[in-house]
Amino acid sequence: MKFEYIFFWIAAGLYGVSACSYIFGLISKQEKLFTFGLYSALAGFVPHLASIGRRWMETGIEPFITISESITFGIFMAVLIYLIFQFATEKVRPLGVLIMPVAFVLMGWAGTLIKDAATQIAPALQSWWIWVHIIGAATGFGSVLAAAGLGLMYLLKEKYSAGIYEKLPEPQALDNLAYRFVAGGFIMYGLMIVSGAFWSNQVKGNYWNWDPVEVWSLISWLTYGIYLHLRATFGWRGRKLAWYALIALAAMIISYWGIPFTVETFHAGFRIQH
Amino acid sequence: MSEFNNIADLDNSKFPIEPGNPIVAIWRKIHAFLTSAKLAMFLLVTILTCCVIGVTIFRDKRAWDMIFSTLWFNGLLVLLVVNVAFCFFSRIWGRKLTLVSLGMILFHLSFVAILGGIIYNSLFYFRGLIRLTEGETLPNGELQSYDSSDRGRFFNLSKLKGETTLIKMHTMYKVDGDDKRAAYEIAVGEGSLKKQGIIYITKNLDYRGFRYYNDKEGYSLLIMLYDKLGRELYGAYVPLQSLKQKDDTYLYTTGTKDGPGDFPFPQDSSKPLFTLQAAYVPTPIKELSGDAFFKVWPLVDARHEEKAIAEGKAAIGEMFDAGDYYLSVREVRYWVGMNVRYDPGLPIVLASLWVGLSGVVITFIGRILKRKK
Repeated sequence: MKFEYIFFWIAAGLYGVSACSYIFGLISKQEKLFTFGLYSALAGFVPHLASIGRRWMETGIEPFITISESITFGIFMAVLIYLIFQFATEKVRPLGVLIMPVAFVLMGWAGTLIKDAATQIAPALQSWWIWVHIIGAATGFGSVLAAAGLGLMYLLKEKYSAGIYEKLPEPQALDNLAYRFVAGGFIMYGLMIVSGAFWSNQVKGNYWNWDPVEVWSLISWLTYGIYLHLRATFGWRGRKLAWYALIALAAMIISYWGIPFTVETFHAGFRIQH
Repeated sequence: MSEFNNIADLDNSKFPIEPGNPIVAIWRKIHAFLTSAKLAMFLLVTILTCCVIGVTIFRDKRAWDMIFSTLWFNGLLVLLVVNVAFCFFSRIWGRKLTLVSLGMILFHLSFVAILGGIIYNSLFYFRGLIRLTEGETLPNGELQSYDSSDRGRFFNLSKLKGETTLIKMHTMYKVDGDDKRAAYEIAVGEGSLKKQGIIYITKNLDYRGFRYYNDKEGYSLLIMLYDKLGRELYGAYVPLQSLKQKDDTYLYTTGTKDGPGDFPFPQDSSKPLFTLQAAYVPTPIKELSGDAFFKVWPLVDARHEEKAIAEGKAAIGEMFDAGDYYLSVREVRYWVGMNVRYDPGLPIVLASLWVGLSGVVITFIGRILKRKK
């Protein structure tokens, strides 16, 4: 077995341990399990980074071209954002209860789709725009995943205020944090769409073609645009937006990685036939 | 989207024009309709729903025909932009300029600029698909030079100046070690202003705002006709279709993109002699070499109910006996199809995308700073 696969499965395993720790921590109300979950996530992040790095070094091709690579990179950014947030603020200890199970399940899914790295990259993908595009998409996903996690924390804090929930920030603070992550995600999704438009213009001469991938990215952007509009103009706060963030997350996962299972190709517009 | 919390729709009592007049009353209703935040929300949700339907229930061409290309859907998009402009700018007007409001202005202004760019472009654009065999030159100003073309209502055909030449098609073209697969060496323009360059999938050539993009390529056979004494009667380049087969190989033959077919030969003669299907099987040993396959039918037998006059193959450069005549493929060249685009509104749209994005970033930073204060 190649090293990249060994690193990958170690990372997936540790994310699984982390996910279980968070879930059992929540059930048994043991805060120590949250700490264990956090450090398991950190321990999983290291082989995750090694797996991506190893794959990249092997071929020199950007490690986010295929579906499994795209999922893997999306989780990588999500876990990175989560770890930075946790270690920088230490405010919302149980946050991983949503993030790590999602990361674990998506890693498992990516593992079922993983193939050896391609030796050549399709000419249409040989563009610097792909970097901006993918980083925008992955960071956007990481941000809205964190926002959904904070939404869940809000709902839990609202329902239970004693025990492990006592240390959680006030609901309003959670709501504001979730809003910031959504706003950050909205910017990154905007970057994804803008860079995608420039990339498409470079390759095909048009910036928008209502291609399924373009429409799905617009759906992501509109979904969080509506969130911001509801908050800013209609004064929505708290529970309603927490539920919105959770439901929207499911839409995001489908819009990114569910596409290949619903339409024929991934980035069909970039398939070149002669 | 407006940053102002819980703003009710505009207070009609403060409307600047005197009430009572029916025109004023109608204008007030239109104004109230266009400045409604609820309308913006309704349009956002409707467009989002249409997008979801367009990638789930209907897909690809059906989604394009039933949703994305329709007048009503594009009308919704235009109405959203108009609504956003009215909604936002009527509320922001006269307010103090802050970092947050500056960002919001840029964001909302970009929507209006994008719409302006799209409308401007739709009036003046040109799109054409030009197909050339290596060494061939076609005049840009004649629409017959394009397999297909489309233009805006106010596009001036005199903008299409000079000519386009395909000098050579390069296969396995590499740039800094990256395989670009196919690259076209072309020359565009007139006289001393001619511009020459190589285009490939991530690089286009811009000549006075007309951009050339590579699109597709194939083989072109120089088919010669001889009499039985070996005298040359006619010759023409015939581009072949590349038809993908079930086993992922390609069949290179005359016909249409939907399948093999024959054509009257000689092509541009008022009296063609027969119909001909030609195919080509390249050899991996040497580029542009291999065998040519011919199938010849009598001209009157359009349905091919009779047996073909002649059928068989000959190596490139060799003669093939086609009954009263000889046929031969003298040489094989590449043909390429290029998209020619003129989009004067494009810079406005692309620049507005960045302006809009920077507007959101400025607003985000402004809000964080405001909260810290």
